[in-house]
Order: sequence, then C-alpha cells, then structure tokens
Amino acid sequence: MPSKENGQMQLLQGTLDLIVLRTLASMGAQHAYQIASRLEQVSNNLLNLNQGTLYPALVRLEQYGWIKGTWGKTEKNREAKYYAITRAGQKALGEETQRWKRMAGLVEKLLIEEF
Amino acid sequence: MNYLRRIFLRFSNLFTNSKAEAELDREIVAHLQLLEDDFLDRGMTPAEAHRAARRAYGGVERVKQLHRNERAYQGLACTVMDVQYTLRQLRKSPGFTLTAILMLAFGIGATTAVFSIVEGVLLRPLPFADPDRLVILGDDLVGSHWDQSNVTAPDIRNYMRDTHSFLHLGGYQRIGLELSGDGDPIHVGATRMSGEVFQTLGIAPLMGRWFTQQEDDQHQSVAVLSYGMWRERFHGDEKILGTKILLDRRPYLVIGVMPRDFEFPLSPGHVNNSKLWVPLSPLPAEFAAGYAASWNSRMVGRLKPGTTPAQAQSDAQVVADETMRNYPGFMRSIRIRANVKLLHEDTVAQSRPLIHTLLFAVATVLLIACANLAGLLLVRSIRRRREIAVRLALGARAAMLLRQAMVESLMLSIAGGLVGLAFAASCIRIGISLLPENLPRIHEISLDWPVVAFAIGLAVLTGLVCGLSPAFAAIRTSVNDTLKEGGRTGTLGSGHGRLRSTLVIAEIAVALVLLTASGLLLRSFEKMRQVDPGFRADHTLSAFYDLPQKRYATQSAIDAFTDTLLRNLRQLPGVKAAGISSLLPTGGDGGEIAITVEGLVPQKGTGLNLVTLLMVQGDPLQALGIRMLRGRFFTESDKADSQPVTIVNRKLAEHFWPGQNPVGKRLRRGMPETPTPWLTVVGVVDDVKLGSLDGETAEQFYQPATQQVVSEGAFASAGELAANSGYIVLHTNTPPEQMENSLRAAVRNVDPQLPLIGMQTMEQLISGSEAPRLFNTVLISSFAIIALLLAVLGIYSVIAFSVALREQEMAIRMALGCQRQGVLRLVLTSAMKLGAIGCLLGLLAAASVSHLLRSFLFGVSPFDPLVLMLSAGVMLSFALAASTLPATRAATINPILALRGD
Repeated sequence: MPSKENGQMQLLQGTLDLIVLRTLASMGAQHAYQIASRLEQVSNNLLNLNQGTLYPALVRLEQYGWIKGTWGKTEKNREAKYYAITRAGQKALGEETQRWKRMAGLVEKLLIEEF
Repeated sequence: MNYLRRIFLRFSNLFTNSKAEAELDREIVAHLQLLEDDFLDRGMTPAEAHRAARRAYGGVERVKQLHRNERAYQGLACTVMDVQYTLRQLRKSPGFTLTAILMLAFGIGATTAVFSIVEGVLLRPLPFADPDRLVILGDDLVGSHWDQSNVTAPDIRNYMRDTHSFLHLGGYQRIGLELSGDGDPIHVGATRMSGEVFQTLGIAPLMGRWFTQQEDDQHQSVAVLSYGMWRERFHGDEKILGTKILLDRRPYLVIGVMPRDFEFPLSPGHVNNSKLWVPLSPLPAEFAAGYAASWNSRMVGRLKPGTTPAQAQSDAQVVADETMRNYPGFMRSIRIRANVKLLHEDTVAQSRPLIHTLLFAVATVLLIACANLAGLLLVRSIRRRREIAVRLALGARAAMLLRQAMVESLMLSIAGGLVGLAFAASCIRIGISLLPENLPRIHEISLDWPVVAFAIGLAVLTGLVCGLSPAFAAIRTSVNDTLKEGGRTGTLGSGHGRLRSTLVIAEIAVALVLLTASGLLLRSFEKMRQVDPGFRADHTLSAFYDLPQKRYATQSAIDAFTDTLLRNLRQLPGVKAAGISSLLPTGGDGGEIAITVEGLVPQKGTGLNLVTLLMVQGDPLQALGIRMLRGRFFTESDKADSQPVTIVNRKLAEHFWPGQNPVGKRLRRGMPETPTPWLTVVGVVDDVKLGSLDGETAEQFYQPATQQVVSEGAFASAGELAANSGYIVLHTNTPPEQMENSLRAAVRNVDPQLPLIGMQTMEQLISGSEAPRLFNTVLISSFAIIALLLAVLGIYSVIAFSVALREQEMAIRMALGCQRQGVLRLVLTSAMKLGAIGCLLGLLAAASVSHLLRSFLFGVSPFDPLVLMLSAGVMLSFALAASTLPATRAATINPILALRGD
C-alpha cells in the first residue's frame, strides 16, 4: 500500500468515486471546488490531493450516468459547473457502499487473523 | 447498462474532441477563479492568490491529459486522426481516389459475386436436417461407365430390408405425370418415392403430412404437393388437403404441401424440379424380367449415428452379393458393386470444375486489381516523397508513417469493397438468369451474411497486402538525399522502379493466362459449332407425349392412338415426313442396354457391351434427315410378327464388324445367357449426336417399336406395354414454328386431353444444348477482357508516371541532340521489355494451370500454338498501345521549358 510520509494518505483506487458520490448524495449539487474542499475538511487534511485530480473521477461518473453536470452561478455570481447525483447514481451508491463494506470487513478479518 | 453507455461515450468522444476540450477549459478556468477568489478573501495579494490557486489545483496540463484518458479511448484517437488526415488527402486527389476505389470495386465485386455462387452451390449445407449423415446408395455396374449410382426395383426392396447401417433408407424415381382436372391438362415433373425418404430428409411439411412407408407398401393413392405447385395450380387454397387430383387420369388424395424451399431430388442436369411426390409403390411387374435389370431409380439414406459411409458400403455390399446370387439366369453375367457416397458430394460433383474455373478467373482479376492498386499507391508515395522526408526530418516516427499508409490503403480498399458489394448484388441478380440450369440449388444463390463477410474480409486483406509494399517503400525514403535534391527531380532509387516493373510484369502475366483460357474456350466453341450432328436441324419440329396408362391400358389402344396420329400428321399440309422416336438429339443418350453380337465371344472381364437404343415408329429417321449409309429404313411391313430387324449406326458397325458389310449380320438384346431373339441388321446410318455436340457419340441401334416386346424375349414382362411415349418429329416445308398449331390440333384430334410437352424446333433445341459451353466461354472471355483492360490501365499508369519522372532526363537528352524518334523508341522499348517478360511468364503460368481447363476444352489442346501466340500477340500490342500515349508525350517535351521548370 503506498503511503506518504508525514501521516498523509493516498486514496485507495476506486474509493474516490465512492466518496464523490457520497458527498453529492448528502450535500446536494456541488461544483468541483466545493467537492474538493469537502474532502479536505472531512479528512482533516490527511488526504492531500490536488484539486484537479477530481476531474477524471467526475468525467468517469458522468459517463456512467451517475452524476450530471450543469453550468450555474455561485453566490458571488461566478460561473461554475455544478454536479448533482442522478437516480442511477443513488442506486449505484447503495450497491457500491455495500460492496465496500463487505470488502472492508474481509480485509479487516484477514489483517486480524494475520497477527 | 452503465458500462455499455460509458464504452459508447468513450468512442463517440473521439469524434467530439474539440467540444469536450472547450468545456474542460471552461471548467478549469472557473475552478481556478473560485480558488483565487477564496485566497483573495483570506487577504492575499492578487498575484499571491493567483499562484496559490494554481498550486492548490495542481498541474493544469496533467489534469487535462488525465481527463482525456478518462474521457475517450486515447489509443484510438491517433487512428481517428489518421483517418481524418487520410480523408483530407484523398479529397485533394479525387482522380486517384476514384480510380482506386472503382478498380477495387470491380475486382472485389466480381470475386464476391462468384463467391456467392460457390457458397450457394458448394459450401452451404443441404437444406435437410443434419445433412452430413445423408448418403446416396446405389450400384456401380461393372463394365459400364455410368457416373450416377442407380438401383433397380428389387435393389430398393433388398437394400431397405437387409441393410443395418441406415436409420432411414428409401428409393425414389423421377417420373412425369399428367395432371388433369380443373384447367388444361399439364405434364408435371414428379417423383415416386418410398415413405422412408421423407423421414430420411427430415423436413416437416408446411401443411398436412407426409405419406408413410405403410401407405407406400399398401399402394395408397396419395400425393404431397410442392409449394410452387400449390401456389400456381391451386392458388394457395388451404382447403386443398383432403381433395382429390387426377394424375395420369387416376384420382390421388392430396395429404400435404411441402415448404417453399423444399427441393428433392436435388438432381443436377434437370431443369424441372419435382412438383409433387407420390408413393413408390412398385408394381409386381417391376420385380420381374426386364424391369429387374433396369437401373432406373436411386436411393437416399440417413446413416445411423457412428456409422461411416465406408462401413455402410460394406454392409450394402453383403446385400448386393446376395442380390447377385438370386439373379435369374439371363442376368448371370451382371456384376454390381454397392456404392455409398455423401448426398452433398453427389449433388455438387458435376458443377465443381465450372466453379473452380470461375474462382480461378475471378482470383486472377482480383490479383490484377490489387497489383494496380499497389502500383497506384506506390506512385503516390513517390510523389509525396518530399513531404515524407520533411516529416521524417521533423521527427515523425516510421511506425506512424507506416500506420498512415496502411490506413490510407485500408480506407480505399474498404470503400472499394462496399461499392463492390453493390456491384456484386446486381451481378448476382443478372447472373442467376444466365447461369446454366444444371447448377444445383441455383435459387439459393444470394448475397447473404457469409458473402458480405467474405467481401469485407477480402477488402481488408487487399488493403493490407496492397498497402504494405508502398508503405515500406515510403518509410525507406532517405531524408538527406531527398531533401538535398532541392528543386531538381533526379532519377529515382532503383528499388521503387523495380517494384513497379514487377507489378506490371505480374499483371501482364496473369492477364495473359486468362486471355489464353478465353482463347482456348472460344476455339472450343468454334470447333463444337463445326461438329456434324448427324441430323438436319432446320425445318424440323418436335414435341414429347406420354400416354396415361389408365386410358391406354392395352397395347391395341396404344397402337390405335399411334397409327391414327401418324396418319393425321402425314396428311398435314407442309409435312414432308413424320415419325416418333423414343430419344431425340440434344436430349441425351438416355439409358443404355446390353447387347450380344452373333459370332462374337465375349472376352472374360471385358464387361458388358452397353449401347444406346432408339425405338422408332413412322419415319423419324427421314424426318430428322439422318443419313442412310447402307441398306434400308424400316417400313410398314416390319411388324410384331415379322422377322425382327434393326438399324445400327456407323460407330457400332465399325466396332463389331470392322471392314465388313453389317447388313445381314445379327445382334440381340441382353447378355449371352439371356434368351432373346436375334435381330437382323437391315441398314446402317450415320452417327447422331444425342447429347450435346461436344459430347461423345454413343454406339446406337434402332428398332421398330412394334417389335419391342418380341425382341425382349425373357426380359419382357407379362402385359408389358410398348411405345406409350415418344418424341414426335416433323420435317416441314414451311418454317417449323408455323406448324406448331397444326401439330397440336392433330394430337387433340386423337386425344383431346393429352398434353404435348416441350414443343420446340430442332434449332431451338440445339442452341439450348450449346448454352452451357456458350456460358463458360462468355464468362471466361468477359473476365479475360476485364483482366486485359485492368492490365492495360496498370501499364499505362506506370509508364506514364516513369515518363513524367524522367521528363528532365528526356529534356537533357533532347538538348544534347537526341531525336524525338529516339525518345519515343526509348520509352516504347522499356514498355516492350516489360511486356515481353510478362508474356513469357504468362505463357508458363498458362501451361501450369492448363489441367484446370482441360475438361472444358473440346477439340483443342491446352497448348494450342495458334491460341497461345495470338493471346501473347494481343497482350503485347495492348501493352504497346498503352505506352504509346506517354511515349508521344515524352517525345513532344519542349526541352527548354522542361529544364527551366521546377
């Protein structure tokens, strides 16, 4: 597992999609900057990722039809692309969450047995 | 679903790249702006905020690349770019593009059309359930040269009863039946068959049911109709089941209708398919005497699982041995060998040589088209040498140039393939009406998926093959040399030139092979036209009739009909001679029978003397203008109770009585042990071609029909009827077409219900019999012409191009005092050199494939010097003509302009 010095974590592959979906599901439509800020906030800055790294995840999720982006205005009347979770996205989030939990449980069990 | 959606989007995004890029840019700019705003709010200076925003965002170009990779299949993106680039390039040179595509369309179209014939006739499985288990079982008669394995009625009974290798096995026989009832009586092609045959084939009826073996054994009068018969004659009436139809004036119960595509027997050589099926129900007479020695039926069977045809054959041989042991004395010397072969083999055997020749011809045309395309691409890559050199110098990788070259040739060839498919579709439509009708399953020929896949596959293959060598030639371009040449176009690297010359030589050689083939076939056709058929074709009219047994149950009824008919015919104004014959020229040799010649002791192992027999009534020999060489024709006095007589043809006479006068000699029907009376030869006539004119002439003998039963001796079955069918032949004063109505009226006068079948003049019959050879000849010749034209095109383009490249060289030569004639000679000599080498190789190739053609030739050797020399001459003069235009252009160069140019 690659890890960075000074206690920072690298994201597990595939988890970024899940986190983005989860964020959009609980917070409503968000633009990329908001999603990135939310990630930093939740992880107490342990997750150090360049905000641009979100973009591949966003295009992937949009192509799956799980999120949908539309152009809108911020409070300060700046232009921004807001992403909202779709109905298919809600369903996928449920399935992926279940899968993640099973996976995490399995990994935990294995790690405990090992010691 | 979502995954499919993504795959689709990643593909489609390849083509909407610029839109997606703009959207991404907009989003990134907006994102950076928001970040900057925040940093400003935290009290940074605008410059600091700008830098901090970029830091927080990360590398913009890297993000873009990640986004692109995620958004679309990047590996394909280059290909899409190549395609777009190629399309632009091709649009810029429409002449080249059009020539290349059309040429390929031609080659691929012709190949595809022919492949669809091959696919329909040779490759497609038979339209029966599990066709690989279907076999034909029959006897090979030792000492005969029949290629179809036939059986007798007792054989059918014995094989069905005593073999153990077959799941189902049944016999069948093609017959003609008179169908009367509502509407005019017509003669229809039909098949008598065992109930087991339907089970063997395993095709369910469209409506109703089959007849069973039990119904066959019980001699039930039931009939199953073909789809065509049901639609045409009975207007698709669904209430037809359970009604009765009249066949040979006996009522038959209609019990079923077969589906539209059901066709059985699939017999090559028969134009008319079977229109209905009735039980075989053999009569007791068919097991006795002469019938027992009539190999006039066939058998089809389905092998048991796990049984091979060879095992089935040895199983059947046991039965055949037993059958031979039980032969009556008069058949003692007949030996039979059981033969089991796959039904598919049997169906396609006759058409295989034609189809192989066709394939060979189109492969040749395709090869030439490919060579031309390769030549064009090569010339093109040479023209773009500068561009390629510049690109290489700027760092383009060879792999990329190679890929672009391949993309270009693939696009051309696939476009050519698509146009070719359209071309093939129309070819097939026209072709089916022209193909000889003895191709089996001709109606199944169509443009379907395997054919389309074949065409596209061929196109891709062509593209790869044609693209490769010019592509390699292009990337071998030496950057330094090419760029150093500056404005001057020097002479080219010899590698390119050699490649082009090779292509031209190959084209000439291959085209010459087709040209000689076509020449040989034309000669054969001419030879066939010169054959003496042995009869007169003009002013002769013929028609066939078949008396239904129900009405004509006794010999006296038949004789009364024949006598009245002949009398009526002779009285018709304009009729010079009238007669009835059991066989007609062009109609084929019919069956053959064994004869024994007086005083000739058969050698052991020489087999049977099988000859063709014609039964005649009235004066058919005179009506057909068959030349009497010696003796006399039959007369009214050759009656059933007078001395049995015969007329033999020249070939038979020369075989058995070489150098002697055959008149007065005696022969009889059957084998030496058969008790038959002697027939005295009263005349010798010239040989008559009964089959096609390019076929063998059989040994023939003629008998008066009145003496048939007497001459059969022990072969004659009780109550056997003779002369109940035949070809009426009239020799007319007037054009024979004008006599058709009089002939019809004369027959109707005797029996108003009797249909006349296939009324035609002899000239029409002959042209019909020439059709297959005409077809082969026209087909190969048209391929040869196409090949010739393509080759000429290839020669022209290559010579023209090399002349254009050598323009300056020519100009210098002329400036130094070379005459225009000299330049002309220079160009023509180089063209002639290519032509001569090509012709030499072509003649060698023609010789090596001559075996393919041999079976189609008639009276001409595959090495006929006249044809070979003429073809080579034609090829050379065309090559010369193709290079004349570029040569004259070279000779008229204005040296001052040419040298100043560039």
